[in-house]
Amino acid sequence: MSVKISLAGVHKHFGPKQVLRGIDLEVQTGESMVIIGGSGTGKSVMLKCILGLVHPDAGSILVDGQPVIGLKGKALAAHQSRFGMLFQGGALFDSLPVWRNISFALSGPARERRAAAIDNLARVGLGADVADLRPNELSGGMQKRVALARAIAARPEIIFFDEPTTGLDPIMADVINDLIRGLVTELGITALTITHDMSSVRKIADEVAMIHEGRIIWHGPRDSLDSAENPYVDQFIHGRAEGPIKMPLRKL
Amino acid sequence: MSSLLSNIAQTLIALGSVVLALFATIGKLTRFAGVAIGRIVRPPWYPAQLFEQMLIIGYFSLPVVGLTALFTGSALAQQIYIGGSRFNAASTVPAVTVIGIVRELGPVLGGLMVAGRVASAMAAELGTMRVTEQIDALTTLRTDPFRYLVAPRIIAAVLVMPLLVLVSNALGVMGGWLLATQRLGFNSAAYLNTTAQYLEADDVISSMVKAGVFGFFIALMGCYHGYNSSGGAAGVGRATTNAVVSAFILILLSNLIITVIVFGG
Repeated sequence: MSVKISLAGVHKHFGPKQVLRGIDLEVQTGESMVIIGGSGTGKSVMLKCILGLVHPDAGSILVDGQPVIGLKGKALAAHQSRFGMLFQGGALFDSLPVWRNISFALSGPARERRAAAIDNLARVGLGADVADLRPNELSGGMQKRVALARAIAARPEIIFFDEPTTGLDPIMADVINDLIRGLVTELGITALTITHDMSSVRKIADEVAMIHEGRIIWHGPRDSLDSAENPYVDQFIHGRAEGPIKMPLRKL
Repeated sequence: MSSLLSNIAQTLIALGSVVLALFATIGKLTRFAGVAIGRIVRPPWYPAQLFEQMLIIGYFSLPVVGLTALFTGSALAQQIYIGGSRFNAASTVPAVTVIGIVRELGPVLGGLMVAGRVASAMAAELGTMRVTEQIDALTTLRTDPFRYLVAPRIIAAVLVMPLLVLVSNALGVMGGWLLATQRLGFNSAAYLNTTAQYLEADDVISSMVKAGVFGFFIALMGCYHGYNSSGGAAGVGRATTNAVVSAFILILLSNLIITVIVFGG
């Protein structure tokens, strides 16, 4: 396997808040990498830096060996067209019906785009009957599946999943996990997922990395997660309040 | 002495930070407008989006703009009649009404009403799209948000506002005519003749120019504040308020500048 995405020493701050403090990470082609870590540790910012939506202050980001930082105009658009992204809240366009959301990035006559949308709906386990509904007429789980169909519709090389199971019941979360794993295996896509959900990690990941205070503090195969012997990883995967990760709580 | 110096320093620091923030905002707004204009003049364009925005800004604003003009024209005719009567100049009602409506009240009140209706809606829509990551989603779906969201709104507002103001002017004059003929005893044909006699091409052209400029500022403020909103529902609320207030100020300021340039002698 070759390196698809490579980050080295990536720093980013917003005002006085230093969010990324030197991220080093490599994702192999066709691999499913899952990033775990607490809220506010910089996971989403890291994804947006790779996409070129946020500009890092320092460091380098390479996709297939090509630098991302500094891309502008058509070069940036060409870079972004290689990615699909499932946003945390779905980010479906309220004003458009489901089929137009899914086929948004596709070109060609409306009939062909609609057929492609229905085909992608089937991939995520939804029928053609939802194609003409608006996003606000769908349940949370269905919205997530439609967003997933939209993310894969243009057959991107790389897909980012931003907390794909947040806000879903355990059964629907498992359905989404199965879909993601299936899509990654079936379509041979390189996937980068960020999540807090350990059942997602165990189902989706080939490799796992943990981010804490803007740095990758552990990285390894999914099966070595339980034997990582890293107190931060151990505290996180077992969801313990006690440990090296301190929550900024005020005593009553 | 040292406390006096300290107070002066504190005041200067506070003043300086306000001035810096003002210039930073002007810089960001100018850059935003420059990027938007760059997208407006170069293809690809989105005709479906443009048509939809023309409908929203123009057609759906007609009732509020029309009623505003009709009532204002009537009230203006009544006031001119009362004021003019003091100098035996009640006969100036048609001339002053048409000049007042076409040069000032039609475009300004039309602009303010559209700003209240449209700038707020644009800021709320784009602000919601920003905080729900729909604008980021557009980028990942190979679509430039400036081309898809901002450019059609600005083009539509600039094209549609002159037409709206044209209708607004006609209804304003009609409001004055209705009141003058039904309440103040003016002869209908004479009123309309006087109106036509005193209305000049410059009045209409300046009215249309003002309307186009107001349309640009309305859409620019709605898009700028919505596009850059942050902080959830409260942030969208702030963006909406800021869009309307800044559009109002820019409409009134640009109206003054255009009036002075065109009619200032």
